[in-house]
Amino acid sequence: MDRSLRFVHLFPELLNLYADHGNMAVLVGRARARGFAVETVAVRLGTELRIENADLVLLGGGSDREQVIVGKELTRYREDLLSAIDRGLPVLAVCGGYQLLGEYYELPNGERVPGLRVLEMTTRAGRNRLIGNVAIEWREGGERKTIIGFENHGGRTTHEYPPLGTVIKGFGNNGRDGKEGVLYKGIVGTYIHGPLLPKNPHVADRLIRAALRYRGQDDTLSALADDLEWRVHDAVLRQICGEK
Amino acid sequence: MRIRSITGLWLGRMTKWVLWALGRKGTSLPGLVAARVAPRLLEELLNQLSTCVIVTGTNGKTTTTAFLYAFLNDGEAWLTNRGGANLQQGLLAALLAKSDWWGRLQVKKAVLEVDEATLPKVTAKFHPQAIVVTNVLRDQLDRYGEVDLALRMLSEGTRYAGTALITNADDPLAMSLGLGRPELTYYYGMTGVVDTTARRTDVRDGAFCLICGRELEYAYFIYGQIGAYRCPEGHFERPQPTFAGRWERAGRRLVVCEAEPNTAEEFTVESPVRGVFNQYNLLAAASAARVLGVSPKALRRRVQNFAPPTGRFQVFPGAPERVLVLIKNPTGANGVLRALEDDAAAKAVCFVINDDDADGRDVSWLWDINLEEFIPCSRAAEWLCGGTRGLDMALRLAYAGIERTQIRVLDKLAQVAEVSADGVETVYILSTYTALHPLSDLLKEVANRG
Repeated sequence: MDRSLRFVHLFPELLNLYADHGNMAVLVGRARARGFAVETVAVRLGTELRIENADLVLLGGGSDREQVIVGKELTRYREDLLSAIDRGLPVLAVCGGYQLLGEYYELPNGERVPGLRVLEMTTRAGRNRLIGNVAIEWREGGERKTIIGFENHGGRTTHEYPPLGTVIKGFGNNGRDGKEGVLYKGIVGTYIHGPLLPKNPHVADRLIRAALRYRGQDDTLSALADDLEWRVHDAVLRQICGEK
Repeated sequence: MRIRSITGLWLGRMTKWVLWALGRKGTSLPGLVAARVAPRLLEELLNQLSTCVIVTGTNGKTTTTAFLYAFLNDGEAWLTNRGGANLQQGLLAALLAKSDWWGRLQVKKAVLEVDEATLPKVTAKFHPQAIVVTNVLRDQLDRYGEVDLALRMLSEGTRYAGTALITNADDPLAMSLGLGRPELTYYYGMTGVVDTTARRTDVRDGAFCLICGRELEYAYFIYGQIGAYRCPEGHFERPQPTFAGRWERAGRRLVVCEAEPNTAEEFTVESPVRGVFNQYNLLAAASAARVLGVSPKALRRRVQNFAPPTGRFQVFPGAPERVLVLIKNPTGANGVLRALEDDAAAKAVCFVINDDDADGRDVSWLWDINLEEFIPCSRAAEWLCGGTRGLDMALRLAYAGIERTQIRVLDKLAQVAEVSADGVETVYILSTYTALHPLSDLLKEVANRG
């Protein structure tokens, strides 16, 4: 059986505002610990993205300036991305990368920066930034789990898809509807960084399983010794819930 | 001075007395009280100064300010905001401490450390003689949003053409502040320190041309985005520094070559600080002092008056010796780790990570510290973590390759101050801001106990 996985990090040199490479380290670490041969590919500005070589795609967040550069670059690959996502390609999109999957980002002056239009989702700039620790409840297969991290975004995102989770503490997508992130086919979109995956290993495993299914393989994963991860998760969750 | 300002001043002073009676230091609160009552008090006090130099930038402000304070001290009294209280209330508290009951400043010369976001507010109503910029790096993201924003605030704050700007030639972002500012702009930079330990993988926030967005080309890196850069489209490149520094690491001295229009003159200063980032602080301060007319001879003498600020490689003697170092962002932390590599001693490394407002509440920056490349050359026998987010750091270390069972997590700062281990000569305690002063006090106690 083919035991290899290929993870693609899009524009790590530009979209690295919130240490998103930490997410890659966790995906690689947890896949290798299960015996998979993992190949990572960093697609930098000006290099060709070959979506057929990706089993999982990571899209991080950058400053506004960098975000615009990436948005333009990715437009070339929109059709390829859409068809792969339709077939279940897992994508982890954080913060700016998350916004980029939508239709547009509306600036305070009303100008709309176009997104990739992968999702029917829009983002509008708010007056202030939504900043702070965040905890959400995530349901998967009848199980309830928490996801924790930090959010820092000026945009308010709205959509009708299932969210990644419901807000326990913090702002989430827009500070109003109690939803955080998005789940659509293999896409996990979220404002949560910290980075997201080190302290939320269950989300990492969900993405790895999705990558295995995308390759048409058995998606069962063995358990790993991750007590430290859960100790940090629980400590931070307690701290967040104790905050005023 | 207006009645309202005098009322504010009195209230500020009373606050300071109350704090003093309670046994607290009060670096900011008196200023906060005074500013609430009298919003124009700060500018009224600042405008009484005959000479003022402001130090701003992301990293190195406190050390550069301490160097300048030593260099400028000509026998007359100078005032400074020691302890890094660099927001409006901190500046006000420092000025109030040197003013009489009628708001008249008793000291007319000042070296002030000013936060990047506070700078435009200060310089809107007051023009200092000189502003020194250390660098523009990624700091506490939750405070300002993004690096671009910090740069905008610095650009706004340094716009006045009558103020001398002394900025870093080797940092493309700090350098850009001098573009379109032909008069009274001075650059300092390092030559000949092609630091072979600089890593290609370090975070670099300014490594893109601000005009065309292309990745800058580097002949060499010194640390972070600092080095010899040029835009491939020719939009900008590292300028020839007016003050070119050469760090003689083994001899512990900095040679400064000063380029005049037709001549070049050299002078040497003994360097009392460690790490290449600290040599930049020394060079920035020496350059500013030269711009203000201090002679090389006076610089060489006065450098001996330099007192290292709290937690900037502050050494507490003992067995083991303990060294307290502030870390607050990845580039600063990477610079500190490089300096640790230079120390051949068997060491323990303890990270104390808090997440209060002054530390930055977002700890994702821990993942941008280049631990992967530090660990193999660290000669560290012990790894420890403490602070409110010590567990986060433990997980970070685990991903950087330290065995999970080898990482000790300490619950209390008092335990951190007493860390020792077999065969360890030096314990390096790398701490974020809010744990720094409590740790310094605890470490003093431990050192005094012997």
